[in-house]
Amino acid sequence: MNPLQITLLALGATFLLLWAKSPKNPRYAWRFGRAVVLTLASVAVLAPFVWLLAAVFKDRSVLNEYMFFPPLADWSKKTMNLENFSRLFQGRPSVQGRVYFWQYVLNSTMLATVSTTAQLFFSSLAGYALAKYQFFGKKALMACMLGSMMIPGVLLLAPIYAMAVKFNLVDSLFGLMLPGLVTAYGIFLFRQACMAIPNELIEAGRIDGCSEFGIFFKLVMPLVRPMSAAFCLVSFLGNWNSFFAPNVFLHSQDKLTLPVVLNLYITQYENDYGVFLAGTALAMLPPAILFFALQREFISGLTSGAVKG
Amino acid sequence: MAQTKLQYKSWVPFAFLGPYLLLTSVFFLYPFINALVLTFYQTNGPKSRVFVGLGNFKYLLSDSTFHQALTNTTLFAIASVCLQLPLSMGLAILLNQGNSRLKGFFRLVLFSPNLVGQIFVGILFSVLFTPRYGLINRTVQGLVNWGLEERWLSNPVLVMPAIILTSLWLWVGFNMVYFLAALQSVDKSLEEAARIDGANAWQVFWHVTLPSMRHVVVFVVIMSIIGSYQLFELPMALLSSTNGYGPDNSGLTVITYLNEVAFRSGDLGLGSAVGWVVALIIFTVSLIQIRLTKVVED
Amino acid sequence: MSLSRLIDKYPYGKAPLALLVLAVVSVALWFSTQKQREKRPDLIVVTFTAPHQAAYRKALPEFEKQYHVKVDVQLAHWGSLQTRLQNAMLADTDVPDLVEMLEGSLGFFARGPKEDIGLVDLTDRIEGEHLKERMVASRFSLWSARGRVFGMPHDVHPVMLAYRRDLVEALGIDVRELDTWEKFNEVGRRITRDKNGDGVIDQYMIDLPSGGGYGVLIMMLQRGGQLFDEQGRPAFANEITAEVFRQYLEMTLGQQKIAYECGWGQSFFKAMTDGLALFYITPDWRSYTLQTDLPRLSGKVALMPLPAWEKGGRRTSVWGGTGLVITRRTKHQELAWELAKFLYLNPKSLGERFKDTNIIPPFKDAWSLPEFSVPNSYFSGQPVGQLYAELAPQTPPFYSSPVDSIARAKLDEAYTRAIEHFKAHGQDGLMDVIRKELRLAQDDVMRRSERNQVLEQGK
Repeated sequence: MNPLQITLLALGATFLLLWAKSPKNPRYAWRFGRAVVLTLASVAVLAPFVWLLAAVFKDRSVLNEYMFFPPLADWSKKTMNLENFSRLFQGRPSVQGRVYFWQYVLNSTMLATVSTTAQLFFSSLAGYALAKYQFFGKKALMACMLGSMMIPGVLLLAPIYAMAVKFNLVDSLFGLMLPGLVTAYGIFLFRQACMAIPNELIEAGRIDGCSEFGIFFKLVMPLVRPMSAAFCLVSFLGNWNSFFAPNVFLHSQDKLTLPVVLNLYITQYENDYGVFLAGTALAMLPPAILFFALQREFISGLTSGAVKG
Repeated sequence: MAQTKLQYKSWVPFAFLGPYLLLTSVFFLYPFINALVLTFYQTNGPKSRVFVGLGNFKYLLSDSTFHQALTNTTLFAIASVCLQLPLSMGLAILLNQGNSRLKGFFRLVLFSPNLVGQIFVGILFSVLFTPRYGLINRTVQGLVNWGLEERWLSNPVLVMPAIILTSLWLWVGFNMVYFLAALQSVDKSLEEAARIDGANAWQVFWHVTLPSMRHVVVFVVIMSIIGSYQLFELPMALLSSTNGYGPDNSGLTVITYLNEVAFRSGDLGLGSAVGWVVALIIFTVSLIQIRLTKVVED
Repeated sequence: MSLSRLIDKYPYGKAPLALLVLAVVSVALWFSTQKQREKRPDLIVVTFTAPHQAAYRKALPEFEKQYHVKVDVQLAHWGSLQTRLQNAMLADTDVPDLVEMLEGSLGFFARGPKEDIGLVDLTDRIEGEHLKERMVASRFSLWSARGRVFGMPHDVHPVMLAYRRDLVEALGIDVRELDTWEKFNEVGRRITRDKNGDGVIDQYMIDLPSGGGYGVLIMMLQRGGQLFDEQGRPAFANEITAEVFRQYLEMTLGQQKIAYECGWGQSFFKAMTDGLALFYITPDWRSYTLQTDLPRLSGKVALMPLPAWEKGGRRTSVWGGTGLVITRRTKHQELAWELAKFLYLNPKSLGERFKDTNIIPPFKDAWSLPEFSVPNSYFSGQPVGQLYAELAPQTPPFYSSPVDSIARAKLDEAYTRAIEHFKAHGQDGLMDVIRKELRLAQDDVMRRSERNQVLEQGK
């Protein structure tokens, strides 16, 4: 019997005890059980992150000695330090001189924020149009959009790369953004959200002399703010963590984004896991902050949008 | 919603859709047609192509590796729908009945795996699955006194469970958030009415709550299936010590197979054919899904 | 208008506004940090492994001074480099001038008709300068296709066994007596046991992957087996492979096993520190990994050549390989060739490179440099360079093909079937099953490579 089994047994026993106390109305038992399950789930989810945290602060020579943190007795400058971060901030060589960590953060930030803002704008435009306008070929277009989401992206990589080279978009952060400026997924999300807007509002706007674009911008968009926030979060996450496309399209050492450059620390013949993990831990902060700030809007955005048919 | 007279100029919708249409025709349609055409060819190098008609498809029919990739991926899709989604739903229900302060905290924690990219998750878990010393082996050993030596990533039988486990960690929280949002919009009065009528908690859930969340559930299921069939970065990173495919091709998915055939062996035509088969499967499954829900509705 | 009202007017809401502001700020910052882009360097070299990039950048200034050119060495992830190169070839667009490639990847590029191969044919140049005599000839096999050579080999990567000298000596084992696998296994069976009585074996003889993988391949090559023949046809269904399978099964499975799979990374290092296995397959590049990631074991590790299959046989194998190819689209073919030779044949930089990586070059003249005979304190004072250099001429060739990774996977599949049979029936009928599975696997690979109609037509 080890501590883990003992703990689980104790929790189970407590649950049964609470149940036995009031079998007809086991409110306390359920509450306790609920808390236990949620806590266990959280522990299971957080455990790998704890490993990450431990690995980030362990010195390179002892990274492989201890699974998590060294026992307190072994803590010293030699085993726990900020070496990984200092190596991370040392930068990487390039023909333009040394490139430092902040440059990669800047690249990633620019890519993610500009992409997300553009995607927000164009997707909402198209989504609104699909929700509130009738036009020839609308059904066909929506079917095609849905179909396009089912094509594996890897398939289109070679021709897109060829085109990107022709248009001189390779090795450029802006060129990388261009193919992905509008996503069918985003369009559908905004379509759902806009369909919930009452038509009377739009007609009232027209009567008031607003232009179509004005209606869109001043009347409709403020009403789907939750959806905008939700979409921003999902988009930002996707763009911030995207690896495959930047990996292929970006060549110059000073244009790489965070996921790409961090992976370069794990090469065929040499791995510096400590730096890789330290960088990943830092790279997790912006999305975490964003999610934390946007949690409520995110949830209500989902409620108002994708939820309804 | 019928309108007798258009109250806006007819070019307006196209102006709104303009950017999308433009970008799509350049960056999607052209590559798409390119891929479509390539399916009937066999490519070797920049300039050489040989027309093979349906030859690629014929080859895939008898290709045991492709069949294995299909089996693996389908298994994963089924596990996603039948394991992941109930877990997400369960957690969403549990989370829904609480006070809001803790709710926000748990929501953040359970969603947090999605803050990092798939590649990182794959690498992280490849370390956690190591035999004897890995976190997962040690935990399982502690719980049921078995499995310390199990090689998750070198045992063909355990590779797919390992991938499924990793995907659970990653996506249960994500779908949970969707379900949570849907639960919050369910009409409470309906539930109350059912409870007053004498239904127990499970019946209330199955007959009242779930049907009113129908649209979200369908949406999440379809997205899950589409996502499962496009699984690529996760298995490649997880199984990177065996070329990304696992021992005995047990971790081969259709997209990693596509990547192998098109970009490692060099036949883009065959890769295109694989892609088309995948798209067809996804399309069919989604169609069936939608039809089924319509049937249930009526 | 107050700030909060301004914020309110943004239609999308607070968070999207924050993102917009951040976007504008970051774009402005980005443009301001963009350094004046110098004109494209004369030559771009791309590699996928950081130690190489570091080593090349160290050596470059001399080349740049001599030829008055600018050379850039870029680092890219191997997967992306491969994709990028492939796409560039397919689209017939701008590519780097020189690219370092990983073993087995040449096949993709040599797939089509000869005019289409996007790499410069180096055969004549190599023969003109007698490089096959001056370098280890077998290494050119990795970079050859259809009889022509397209790449310069960077390394030899002979394989030795690294072992915990302190533990091995404490057990009274004299490694000089372990000159055949038979003797090795015998000793292994003796010492593989449960040391502390908890029911779990905690002392194995050797670290081998249980699924076959690189272990089987290394042993196959050592014994004279091959994945592909010189023409790129699969050639692994033969007695040599079958024998290797059988031996490997005995070593890794069953009652008499002496091997444990220690894996990679954290678990490998822990295993070595604990002495979970005593012997580890160690090519030259891995010896450097040990030095950097396991400093605690300094002085406790030593190297020995692989035990041979029969007395007096080959005592090494190969594992991995990198090579340099010149793309045909380069504007400075001759200059690129000079750079390739400079990077790979320049004795001065080769000595330093060995010191930084433990990797011995295939260039024979370099082995007499002083750095190669320096006693290495990590490896108990052994002259690591010399040890590997002695084995280098014996390294077996390794031919490539476009279906390289499929062939490896198929070989693993055949081995898995053998495992299943061994677990169920032991030695009963084992060899027949092995032979059958190997034949099936080879036929499948053959079918795949025979699909290559262009090759058929071009012949």
